Amino acid sequence: MMTKLRIEEVTKRYGKVTALDRVSLDVRSGEFLVVMGPSGCGKTTLLLILLGVLKPDSGHLYLDGNLIDDLSVEDRNFGYVPQDFGLFPHMTAHDNIAFGLRVRNLPKDEVEHRVEELFSLVELQGIEQRKPAELSGGQRQRVSLARAMAVQPSLLLLDEPLSNVDEATKSEIRQKLKETVKRAGVTTVCVLHEPGDALVLGDRIAVMYAGKILQIGTVQNLLEEPESEIVTRLLASHLFRWGERASPES
Amino acid sequence: MKDRFDVLLQVLAGFLILFMVVSLFYLYVAVGRTWDLVVEALFSERVVQALIVSVSSSTLVGLIAVAAVIPTAYVLTYKEFRFKGLLETLLIEFPQTFPPATVGLVYLLMLGPGSPINIAYTYPAVIVAKFYVSTPFAMSFTLRRFQEIHRSGLDTIARTLGSRTRHLLLWILLPLSVKDLVAGFSLTWARAMGEVAATLIFAGAIPGRTEIFPAVVYLTSRENPQVALAASVIAAFLSIGALLFFKWIARER
Repeated sequence: MMTKLRIEEVTKRYGKVTALDRVSLDVRSGEFLVVMGPSGCGKTTLLLILLGVLKPDSGHLYLDGNLIDDLSVEDRNFGYVPQDFGLFPHMTAHDNIAFGLRVRNLPKDEVEHRVEELFSLVELQGIEQRKPAELSGGQRQRVSLARAMAVQPSLLLLDEPLSNVDEATKSEIRQKLKETVKRAGVTTVCVLHEPGDALVLGDRIAVMYAGKILQIGTVQNLLEEPESEIVTRLLASHLFRWGERASPES
Repeated sequence: MKDRFDVLLQVLAGFLILFMVVSLFYLYVAVGRTWDLVVEALFSERVVQALIVSVSSSTLVGLIAVAAVIPTAYVLTYKEFRFKGLLETLLIEFPQTFPPATVGLVYLLMLGPGSPINIAYTYPAVIVAKFYVSTPFAMSFTLRRFQEIHRSGLDTIARTLGSRTRHLLLWILLPLSVKDLVAGFSLTWARAMGEVAATLIFAGAIPGRTEIFPAVVYLTSRENPQVALAASVIAAFLSIGALLFFKWIARER
């Protein structure tokens, strides 16, 4: 499979603390890659570096083979769904989704057409004129997702997309999230701390710990051949269940 | 059982509230017996002219302040440079503690007789003196809000969607700061209404041109206390009225 994004030997230090220690990772075109690890493992730093908000101390990023180290946040064209969904509170759901298209100065008809398509992609017709404060957690997540996908990003970055949704509806929202992203066919890097979510969402999972990537592989790889003690420990409760089941949850 | 400490705090709070409110109300007590003299003074040419100078200059100062602090707050929020903290202090805290009389003197030397640009004792001098003293209010409100938006990460999201600085300012920063701009304007306006020392020294008190409300109070308090009282009554009314009005606008938004 084609490599969409190559992360090469990226290191980032905050004073004496090494947040990322020569991290290398290939993200394949069209895949949903989960970067999973406990809080403080460096996954948020990695996300900020991919976004272009933080500069790494060393290492390089390549998108479709081209070096993008010096590309600014606005020129990277990466869709971003932050943990709190980051909807613009003064705009309706419709205007949030239209934002990136209007910035690009697209003709009004085209903006309306695209926004309509996105509302149907995330199955949110009927709430176009609501402000973020009037939406549920799950709806906000989908508006944020639609807004990020509106600009047809070369890469979609999700930061803990399930931490602000109701526990009761979480598994449904999780399933929807994966379906939506897959339907759009966009290459996705998703940062998570919860192994249960990672196993369901990820085509492949990169397990991160203390600034390093310990192992990267499919759900099956990780569960059947964990390469280190820490990976085993992080996935412990799921390893047990894995043994009782014939095929992975998909 | 009654919480004694709670009662104590309420009593202590009462002292401050009493002190602040009584000082204001005493104005109306003082006017009380001589109401008709005050009413007469209200419509005297000098008081009306001072009213016009004060309100027009304070409004102008408020508007210029809001326009001027927007780019400054942007730079202070988004640019990293040395001595940024010091610069913030010089723009916000320092003008509020620097004696206004000294401000007036500085301008008199810098923009007065003998300097290439001489605007002393003119209406523009009123604006300049009031501007220095009162802009920090608009500055601090706007800067605090911009920094808050920056911390929220909404600006980063806008940038991932392709926003240039223009979109960031016009579509995100300003719409999300309307309340704070209104509040900044209103406090700047109120401070400009109350400012007297810097204006007196730099702009003087030429009736109809540079004489402002508080200057009338100061200059007439001895020989014609009724005029002084009339001016004070209006000033108090205006300030309270305006502040309540601005607060209402800010809440309505």
